[in-house]
Amino acid sequence: MAELLQYLITGISVGMVYALIALGFALIWKSSSVANLALGQIVLISSWFTYAMLAQAQFPVWLAFPLVILFALGLGWTIERFALRPLIAQPILALITVTLGIGYFIEGVVTFIWPWSVDALPRLFPREVAHIGPAVISQEYIWVVGICLVVFALLTLFFRHHKMGIAMRATADDQMAVQACGIPVTTVFSRSWMFSCVVAAIGGILIASIGGITHGLVQTGLKAFSVVILGGLDSFLGAVVAGPIIGLCESLGGGYLTPYLWAGVKDIIPFVIIIIVMVIKPYGLFGEVRIERI
Amino acid sequence: MLKLNNIEVTYLNVIRVLHGVSLSVDDGAIVTLLGANGAGKSTTLKAISGLLHIEEGEVTDGSIMWNDDRIDRKSAEEIGKLGIIQALEGRRVFGHLTAEENLMVGAYQRHDGHAVKQDVEMVYHYFPRLKDLRRNTAGYLSGGEQQMLVIGRAMMAAPKLMMLDEPSLGLAPLLVEEIYDIINRFNMEQKTSVLLVEQNVRIALSIAHYGYVMENGRIVLDGSADFLRNNEDVKEFYMGLSAMGAKKSYREVKHYKRRKRWL
Repeated sequence: MAELLQYLITGISVGMVYALIALGFALIWKSSSVANLALGQIVLISSWFTYAMLAQAQFPVWLAFPLVILFALGLGWTIERFALRPLIAQPILALITVTLGIGYFIEGVVTFIWPWSVDALPRLFPREVAHIGPAVISQEYIWVVGICLVVFALLTLFFRHHKMGIAMRATADDQMAVQACGIPVTTVFSRSWMFSCVVAAIGGILIASIGGITHGLVQTGLKAFSVVILGGLDSFLGAVVAGPIIGLCESLGGGYLTPYLWAGVKDIIPFVIIIIVMVIKPYGLFGEVRIERI
Repeated sequence: MLKLNNIEVTYLNVIRVLHGVSLSVDDGAIVTLLGANGAGKSTTLKAISGLLHIEEGEVTDGSIMWNDDRIDRKSAEEIGKLGIIQALEGRRVFGHLTAEENLMVGAYQRHDGHAVKQDVEMVYHYFPRLKDLRRNTAGYLSGGEQQMLVIGRAMMAAPKLMMLDEPSLGLAPLLVEEIYDIINRFNMEQKTSVLLVEQNVRIALSIAHYGYVMENGRIVLDGSADFLRNNEDVKEFYMGLSAMGAKKSYREVKHYKRRKRWL
């Protein structure tokens, strides 16, 4: 029982982080239909940057964290301005390929600056363990869930009520009509890249605070892809629901199936589920079905 | 006042679609631009609103003046800021947004929050039906409601010149009349100039003060609405009436019998 509870909590909280990173993907996909394949590397470099601020430069958390956010904003702005904007009006495949290239570039930069490739973030959250019923878990998981929920709430409010949020959703629907309303789509794209990087960076910090900084963070980006595909490419609700599903599959599957099958079985369970969902609901669980009036 | 001086528009540097179009829209006037498919009406509007740049088109000759500003090199965003707003052809609402969010997108460039709120009410005043539908997803509205929403969205920008591209397209005659009534009222009450592109000549001339007829990228005829309504050629070729004013009998029609006098 204690074991089950533990798996549930870790699964959900890791899944929430996946959901957060997936939101970063959905943000860009929604406004510009570009699949950002560099997401994993953005997660990676943001957590290394956090490491640099906290461990190498020894900044206190209150200073380091805003700096990381600024870094992520700048990263998003730079990528959009110099890699993607020159390609506006080119085939979408070209833009997606460019994001792939950006990913490898970032990976190269990371190995250049931090060649030792594995490290741990200083502890961000209190050290004491928490007791939930019979289960004993480290407090980090609870903090992670809390922070994720706050970010989700903020993003939801932004997209419902903020002018730029509404403009982003409108851009996803009809770029030409948005420009006819006098909205500069380049600004919309730029903002969505900036926000996407911030969300990915927060996800990176959270996941690195649990599991340390490794190259595996790039794979975390891949997990985020499975989340968006499961939840629906353009759905925030979908990402928020699908994230914990993937996280639970991993932790429960890893916990209960590994002894009977083989180690690493946990990594394929999410994908099996995705395939099944895709067959039944091709738009994903909550994907926007294209509205067509006949 | 908007003034087009002999503009030429070329797409992709090779395809010339406008061959010297001149027209002007006085402040507070409703001016209509008539013509068949492919005459260059929409291109003219896009040249004014700056959307041409997005489609790789360019004004290669002549100039477009807004009051004393030359605007044919400006981006859609800058032109929107000057108060020239185009409602695109074909009811392009933002399908996944609610009706009210659609209106808010129209007011994106404005920073006077209070006046924007009032203008939302103003749009609901002109289109009472939209008020009941404000929380509905725009993609599921009926064709007429979507057209109202698109016009309402253009109104939300507090435009000085509103350009409407075929607002009657694909709508039932009664609905077309309703929408035209509202455009007319909006023009009279808000003093907004309207440049109207239409194929439905009869309804367009019913509210317009002045009209231009386009064919093959040229203006072939222009005049006051009365003049155009009574012009034999317009009657014959755009309203389907014979010289007698009666409905044309297609049994007796002989195409070579009458040639357009402007050709």
